[in-house]
Amino acid sequence: MKPIEEAVLLRIHVGEGERSGSKPLYEAIVLKAREHNLAGATVLRGPMGFGEHSQIHSAKVLRLSQDLPVVIEIVDSPDKINAFLPVLDAMMGSGLVTLEKIQVLHYGGN
Amino acid sequence: MFLTYLLIALGGALGSMARYGFSGMVAAATGGTFPFGTMFVNVTGAVFIGFFLTLTGPNGRLLASVHTRQFVAVGICGGYTTFSTFSFETLSLAQDGQWLAAGANAVFSVIFCLLAVWLGYVAASALNRGAWR
Repeated sequence: MKPIEEAVLLRIHVGEGERSGSKPLYEAIVLKAREHNLAGATVLRGPMGFGEHSQIHSAKVLRLSQDLPVVIEIVDSPDKINAFLPVLDAMMGSGLVTLEKIQVLHYGGN
Repeated sequence: MFLTYLLIALGGALGSMARYGFSGMVAAATGGTFPFGTMFVNVTGAVFIGFFLTLTGPNGRLLASVHTRQFVAVGICGGYTTFSTFSFETLSLAQDGQWLAAGANAVFSVIFCLLAVWLGYVAASALNRGAWR
């Protein structure tokens, strides 16, 4: 096993309805992360949630399903994540961004 | 012919916008994931269509043209109420194992809507007889 590496998990919570130009915001963030050669990004779509305005979003009720939660997870070294934060900040409208120190056990194939 | 479709389209647009607005308001007010918003528009739409069609029917007090009836009943009521959303939301509840909520939605939607259309009919019938002159 490779040695455990210190890394940072950047987690971005947005609504699927948020846009960045002509693209959905989550898509724009992933493409921007790739452009900045970050190690990887994953988009997770949630069936239910609420945010800043306490408005419930749920896939179960059609009228409440138009802005379901989307979480983008990006993992990389602290330096690369920190360099990406100002870029991300410029793209964000409403939403939540969190950072966590993590340990990477495995990355990529052999 | 073209006018009929145009009126139905206009009525449908107005009804759909009203549905979007009202169901959103009710869903926000009730909070949870039970589809109260959909039930609300279906029940209020049922009162309205019962009232309107009875008032403008053969024994009705109000003489409405065929186009007016199509605009209101087919267009507005058709856009305002939604059986497809009701069906989808009932399926979603059932798929999540919320059988009681799914059953309640199906049973109470039908009961309330039938009661509502009857209430609309009773109210318009009273008006037709001149009870509220």
